[in-house]
Amino acid sequence: MAITIDRLAQASPWRKRAVLEKAALALGLLAVALVVPPWPGALLVLAVTWGLALGLAGISWREWGGLNAAPMGFILTGAVALAVEWGADGPTLAADHGAAALAVVLRASASVSCLLLLAATTPTPDVVAGLRRLGLSSEIADLALLTWRFLFLLQDGAAAIRIAQDSRLGWLGWRRSIHSLGLLIAMLLPRAMERARRLEIGLAARGYDGTLPVLHRAAPASLRVLAAVAVLDLAVAGVSLWLS
Amino acid sequence: MHIMEGFLPAGHALAWTLVSAPFVVMGARRLTRIISERPEARLQLAAAAGFTFVLSALKLPSVTGSCSHPTGTGLGAVLFGPPTMAVLGTLVLLFQGLLLAHGGLTTLGANIFSMAIAGPWVAYGVWRLSSRLGLPVAAGVFLSAFLGDLATYGVTSAQLALAFPDAVGGFGGALLKFGGIFAVTQLPLAVAEGLVTVVVVNALGGRGLVHLHGAKA
Repeated sequence: MAITIDRLAQASPWRKRAVLEKAALALGLLAVALVVPPWPGALLVLAVTWGLALGLAGISWREWGGLNAAPMGFILTGAVALAVEWGADGPTLAADHGAAALAVVLRASASVSCLLLLAATTPTPDVVAGLRRLGLSSEIADLALLTWRFLFLLQDGAAAIRIAQDSRLGWLGWRRSIHSLGLLIAMLLPRAMERARRLEIGLAARGYDGTLPVLHRAAPASLRVLAAVAVLDLAVAGVSLWLS
Repeated sequence: MHIMEGFLPAGHALAWTLVSAPFVVMGARRLTRIISERPEARLQLAAAAGFTFVLSALKLPSVTGSCSHPTGTGLGAVLFGPPTMAVLGTLVLLFQGLLLAHGGLTTLGANIFSMAIAGPWVAYGVWRLSSRLGLPVAAGVFLSAFLGDLATYGVTSAQLALAFPDAVGGFGGALLKFGGIFAVTQLPLAVAEGLVTVVVVNALGGRGLVHLHGAKA
């Protein structure tokens, strides 16, 4: 079963670019969005990430919009709690008329778009390889890579069980749904462990010594691109501070 | 219940990362030792983390910059133990951020603290306590998953209230505001997760796949 972000990342035109370049771009902009005043800083970051994603990274409007919509829903509902105040006679509209809530919405949506820019152009194993170079222990990095492989398999397994339960009317009504969900999970856990055991036997038969060397296609980071990224990050930060 | 990327101010995001770091580092050291002693455990642990991810991918929208779904916190804490859950939970939260844009990198520390540390420890503590009190297994499992969920939601509400204290009511007012809005969605969800966990443990026990010690059958 494909996960939208993973599919976009694997097929991205930036797929073969160095992780360092993409991380510097996205995380640099993320840092700017968090630190500069949301107005107009976060708005500038939003414009830059959306421009890059839809232009250079070649993500379609529909998919990019869809990816941003889900977290936006949560951010907007969260902001509602910030727009009200808890007075002696219950909740009332905040004295700032929601300015603080708007600032949080701007900052959070800009940050989400930075995260998505990285996630939709960089497959997760590349991110893990990057973390490995930053000093993550090889055991935990391997664990992360194996987890990433397992979750697609297990998701397929869960979907198959769900279809089987659905076709036997297992999800009709709340009580039966609770029961079916419990059975699904109870079925999935031993399957996951059994798969792990079989994979272990298969790997042991091939001389598994605890390391899983994987080929990485990414090119080394180009100094010119890194310099351009640094200039862009600093320019966005500078313009935001100047305008605010 | 995840806090989205960028929702917390930079100072709070950093502080929660520092609070969570020792738990994750301790858990990682323990896992590294287990893996070096038994290399095959690596695959079982990866399967457990993948399982937790799939479990928590069944989500329902909620309010206040975060969302609700089966967290698997209670089940994971009882099956794998809280220190292991700190690391597995961190991996799951990282993947949820990178694959589903659910949660985030700057809010990872805060989310780890509520979902991979506070929830599992409370669930595990309740489980041990109910075993000692001689409660029936079903009651112990239900309470453990239910209270583990509530602890997660309570901690998230407190994190948001600390970051955004109410102009009039301060931290207490904000906690009431966030907690109050959450209660509407989180109480029914915690009950549902508790019941589902009982069905899971019964089904696993019925097939002889788990043996729960220290509790009355």
